[in-house]
Amino acid sequence: MTGKPYRLPETAAKGSRIDRSKQISFSFDGAKMTGFTGDTVASAVLASGRRVMGRSFKYHRPRGLIGLGSEEMNALIGVGEDGRKEPNLRATQVELYNGLTATSQNRWPSLDFDVGIINNKFSRFLPGGFYYKTFMWPRSFWEKVYEPFIRNAAGLGEAAREHDPDTYEQMHVHVDVLVVGGGVSGIAAAYAAAASGKRVMLADENPVLGGVADISAGDIDGFSQADWVAARSAEFEKSGNCHVLTRTTVVGHYHHNYVLAAERVCDHDPDLLARGAPRHRLWKIRAGKVIVASGALERPIAFANNDRPGIMMASAARAMVERYATSPGMNGVIFANNDDGYLTALKLHEAGVAVSRVIDVRKDVPSGMADAARAAGLNVQAGAAIAGVETGAGGKQITGVKIAPYAAGRGRVVNEEKVECDFVAVSGGYNPVVHLWCHNGGKLRFDDDIQSFRPDRHGDPITVVGSANGSFDLKTCVEEGFAGGETAARALGVKPARSQKKPAVKAQGTGPIQPIWFAPATGKYNEGNKHFIDFQNDVTAADLELAQREGYESVEHTKRYTTLGMATDQGKTSNINGLGIISDATGKRIPEIGTTTFRPPYTPYSFGSIAGTKKGELFLPVRRTAIFDWHKKQGATWEPVGQWRRAYCYPQAGESKQDAINREILAVREKVGLLDASTLGKIEIKGPDAAKLLDLVYTNMFSTLKVGKARYGLMMNEMGFLMDDGVTVRLGDDHYLMHTTSGGADNIVAWLEEWLQTEWTSLKVFVTPVTEQWSQFAIAGPQARTVLDKLDSDIDLSPEAFEFMSYREGTLAGYPVRVFRISFSGELSYEIATPSGYGRGLWDALMQAGRSEGISAYGTEALHVLRAEKGFIVIGDETDGTVTPHDVGMSWAVSKKKADFIGKRSLDQAFLASEGRKQLVGLLTTDPQEVLPDGAYAVETVKSAPPMKMIGHVTSSYFSPTLQRSIAMALIEGGQGKMGETVSFPLEGGKTVEAVISSPVFLDAEGKRQNV
Amino acid sequence: MLIIQCPVCGAEGDETDFHCGGQAHIARPATSDPDNIADGDQRDYLFMRFNPKGLHFERWRCDRGCGKWFHAARDTVSLEFKAYYGITELPPADVMKQATGQWADFFKQATAGRPAAKKAAKKTPARKTAPAKAKKS
Amino acid sequence: MSDAVYTSPLAHVAGSRDGADLSISISEVSDRGMIDLRGEAGSVKFRQAAKAALGIDLPLKPRTTAVKGDMTVLWLSVDQWLVCCPRNKAGVLTDKLRKNLGTVHSLVVDVSDARAIIRLEGDNAREVMMKGSSIDFTLPDYKAGLVRRLVFAEIAALAHIVTDKPCVIDIYVFRSYADYTWKWIEATAKPAATIGLFGAGSQ
Ligand SMILES: [Zn+2]
Repeated sequence: MTGKPYRLPETAAKGSRIDRSKQISFSFDGAKMTGFTGDTVASAVLASGRRVMGRSFKYHRPRGLIGLGSEEMNALIGVGEDGRKEPNLRATQVELYNGLTATSQNRWPSLDFDVGIINNKFSRFLPGGFYYKTFMWPRSFWEKVYEPFIRNAAGLGEAAREHDPDTYEQMHVHVDVLVVGGGVSGIAAAYAAAASGKRVMLADENPVLGGVADISAGDIDGFSQADWVAARSAEFEKSGNCHVLTRTTVVGHYHHNYVLAAERVCDHDPDLLARGAPRHRLWKIRAGKVIVASGALERPIAFANNDRPGIMMASAARAMVERYATSPGMNGVIFANNDDGYLTALKLHEAGVAVSRVIDVRKDVPSGMADAARAAGLNVQAGAAIAGVETGAGGKQITGVKIAPYAAGRGRVVNEEKVECDFVAVSGGYNPVVHLWCHNGGKLRFDDDIQSFRPDRHGDPITVVGSANGSFDLKTCVEEGFAGGETAARALGVKPARSQKKPAVKAQGTGPIQPIWFAPATGKYNEGNKHFIDFQNDVTAADLELAQREGYESVEHTKRYTTLGMATDQGKTSNINGLGIISDATGKRIPEIGTTTFRPPYTPYSFGSIAGTKKGELFLPVRRTAIFDWHKKQGATWEPVGQWRRAYCYPQAGESKQDAINREILAVREKVGLLDASTLGKIEIKGPDAAKLLDLVYTNMFSTLKVGKARYGLMMNEMGFLMDDGVTVRLGDDHYLMHTTSGGADNIVAWLEEWLQTEWTSLKVFVTPVTEQWSQFAIAGPQARTVLDKLDSDIDLSPEAFEFMSYREGTLAGYPVRVFRISFSGELSYEIATPSGYGRGLWDALMQAGRSEGISAYGTEALHVLRAEKGFIVIGDETDGTVTPHDVGMSWAVSKKKADFIGKRSLDQAFLASEGRKQLVGLLTTDPQEVLPDGAYAVETVKSAPPMKMIGHVTSSYFSPTLQRSIAMALIEGGQGKMGETVSFPLEGGKTVEAVISSPVFLDAEGKRQNV
Repeated sequence: MLIIQCPVCGAEGDETDFHCGGQAHIARPATSDPDNIADGDQRDYLFMRFNPKGLHFERWRCDRGCGKWFHAARDTVSLEFKAYYGITELPPADVMKQATGQWADFFKQATAGRPAAKKAAKKTPARKTAPAKAKKS
Repeated sequence: MSDAVYTSPLAHVAGSRDGADLSISISEVSDRGMIDLRGEAGSVKFRQAAKAALGIDLPLKPRTTAVKGDMTVLWLSVDQWLVCCPRNKAGVLTDKLRKNLGTVHSLVVDVSDARAIIRLEGDNAREVMMKGSSIDFTLPDYKAGLVRRLVFAEIAALAHIVTDKPCVIDIYVFRSYADYTWKWIEATAKPAATIGLFGAGSQ
């Protein structure tokens, strides 16, 4: 629907923000529109004559523009197309640029004709708490009927389905003073603080500093407020110690003055985006002192059908005229309970916008502003309120209001007068923006003078100034700001380098406000009359009253029952009004009711800025071994191990993954394979007490290990549960090299350091991680030695000279190497380490040398099958943090000689020593081709339906190409005593697999293959 | 996000640059007498912790700095750090004095046991808190 | 047998960037050898033996460095230093340190291959550091010679401010993170993303 264009002629209103020489084209719901540089979507759409900008969330009522900035709750739009589409933006904050595409929300199929409006007709069936009441029964309806209905009807806007092509980033900054809000109080604070020479940051959510300075009355230092702000901010830019952020919303305040601020870097300027700037930037600010100068928000008044398009906040109407030369309509009325409404009336009148009535709730209107209005010829009606709204065009346009003498209560109004108008500017008083103050525990107190909550106490180095502090007159705003800035600088222990002149303010005083939480309606209350409190969530006064009647008396209960204040605007305009209604309904004073908790963020900010650079290939830090590029070239598939990417298997042309895994395994068993094991943790441990330390951290003995020999060790935590394992080598008398699992590498270094620093402080040992210094490969298989023999080496590889479980240092093919004769596959195997810079070179040399033996690289899956065939455990597969060495049948590795080692005492605790614990066993499925799923549950008795008593679970399960059958390991209650018994594994879909309990060692129990 | 300062190297940084090691001053029974530990004492050592509202004593590590462990006295309500001190030390006397409840009892025993540390150790293991030599920083 | 083939951690990406498409220039430092040295700073024997091998006193003040000729010793902890020298001298220097230290309680390990070093050069280097780390690189004592461990782009790193004018910062990360770190800096140091904190850019 479009009406008459509302752009005022330049002679009537200049429009301080717009440049009429620069026209901009954009589209709203597909309709081509034009605006000017400096316009917001809200001002441009309104100027085009369009009133309806959105539909409400629950009732789908047509809604128009209502607010001034980030508090806007009706005009929510989606901006952008495809991957760039962002929903739920406030049209009042979206700056216009050429080609902008905006779409309205909560409507289907179109804004003007919306099917969901039927909810409005049935609204009697959608009272407060309807979510809880309506959809509870019958249960079977939930999935098929209710949920699709809710999903279809609810939801705010629609997120993009494509990848967001833009970049985002985060920035850390440390400042001495952070000033939140660039209105006159904030500017005064920054001005005073900057004089100290300390670092000051000023953040404001608007594109232009000044807050409402440009639409307010009063002078500072002989300048208009806007000029004073401009002069001061120009100084900041030059000072070198003040950083100003505009279009930046401070969204949260956290412990130790940690502050998050979301900057919209490019949203107003697609060219900047195209040049590679991040679309949004999230600032992580650490401030010595925070000064909150976040201002105040005008609040609506609850009168019947106060949500109709054309009814807006008085300050918003004023700003539309003064900033954008856009009239909210042709003929309006002002509805106020305080003096500020008169300023709007006068400004509109000056701009030639007809104001046919100023309706003031107060019987005794203070002189001053009201006199000025009367002098200008405006019709002021005292002691009255709006009792109803007349609409045309299906509620999309107001045509008049009904005015009646104001008497508090819920009764029916009879004596009404009808006044024609096409807009209403409502001034219900101001609420300090206390959100940030409250995020980290700031306390509030109710102030009867302003009929609102204002900041009280706070434990953090944070202060609040100006209208955010409930001080609404200009003089106090500026003085508080200035004093706040000076005090902050002084608190940081600096004498101001130069002292700033205290700003001098000239402004007219204002009279008192009269609270009005509810204006009685014509007609029966709540039938066809809705007094909206929370516009965004469609919560009415009647809903809040119902909540009280139904016993949801605590304000926190009322909030959740009615969803008051739970929309994306976080109750910015509804909180106090809601409390006023509850106060009326319960007879309790507002401070006795209390407020709900204010939580970050103040306004929504994009997921992009939360993710920052973490997208695409930078989503997570990825660790690569020196052989990564080779694996990639061979077409490896990947297995993430911690942050590492390890080659899982190397499928060749025409091979499935399983084919590749089987081929790799058989290569190791029959010929020779090469594994990149570089990710294994490696730690050098040295010092006179190194052996003592190892005896304390391992379950088995390492002080007896001979130099040049290797031993497999088990590590427990202090609770007696397995946490890591690996082979440790004695390099010298006082020098060891420990291997850990790939995932445990960092933790084990920290673990050793912790015990050395905090418990065994007298032990003389140094530990240092060397994981990344070495590339390490396992060459395994019957031909391993044959391949190595082809390469030049000063190491004698013969079985006599180089025994199993020993270690040599030397060169191989010209590379410096450490060679360990250890085996995790059960085959003849050497693990060869070379400095990482040589890793790729040595790898290539080994692959080359092994070509005639049919060498094959093998990945982590083949590695796992190979070890499972041998019954070797993997920490994290066979163990889950509740498994002891005894449970996995490794009691042989638990020393009985050592007096103390980590976890020893706990193994004797009753629970761990009890009978019937789950124990590691092997499983052979009755059908050898049937591979059990990982994690499958073993049950005592199979029943037709759960519950069944669970007696264990599968920890590893594979198809063994070596044995040509399925093998598995499992933890089964008392398993070591159940050899040969059959257990059942009921699977999803009713199938049950049976398996015979066996030894977990499926191949070469004597260990002949590795010891050749 | 807390700000923490390492007393060993002086580095100040975000909480994420540090690692919290939980409650301070818990003695490990096995270090002094591995053969005589009652089940209950081992259970207490592993699992029983103070949970004070107010002043608390914790172990932290300068994870992204010097790598050293240290002690901190932190108010769990205001989140203010009242003191940082060595990993083998008891809190500064003035801070120890502010401790309440279980901590007050603990420090009373720990300091009373000082001249005859071995005796006190049996019942209230606090050896780690009152070591012979303090670590220099 | 042929000579051993050496591959630097970032050999697979462009060797260096001239800064044409970034707000700073970044390059890999691949010719640096590194030795992990651990010992007790309080031990005179240890300090003297280390000095005899290095020809320079170990820096004892946290986050400082000692420089002599082509060698720089970075303070890592109260009992740990990273000795940086030309890569081809690291082996000899390691042996010399071990020999001089003898039975003095210490640990000397050649870790020349454990880390990748990325050099950031340009007025915007500090800003890029602060996009990746919560450390305040604008502090007055964060000048040439400073070294500190930190979390950078979510991983453990070591930053060394080499010179102030021009601003040169070396970032040391474990080798496996080289590719990730390089790409992170490329993505972050776009000219259009420059902030110019406090009107700065030139420190
Ligand atoms: Zn430290």
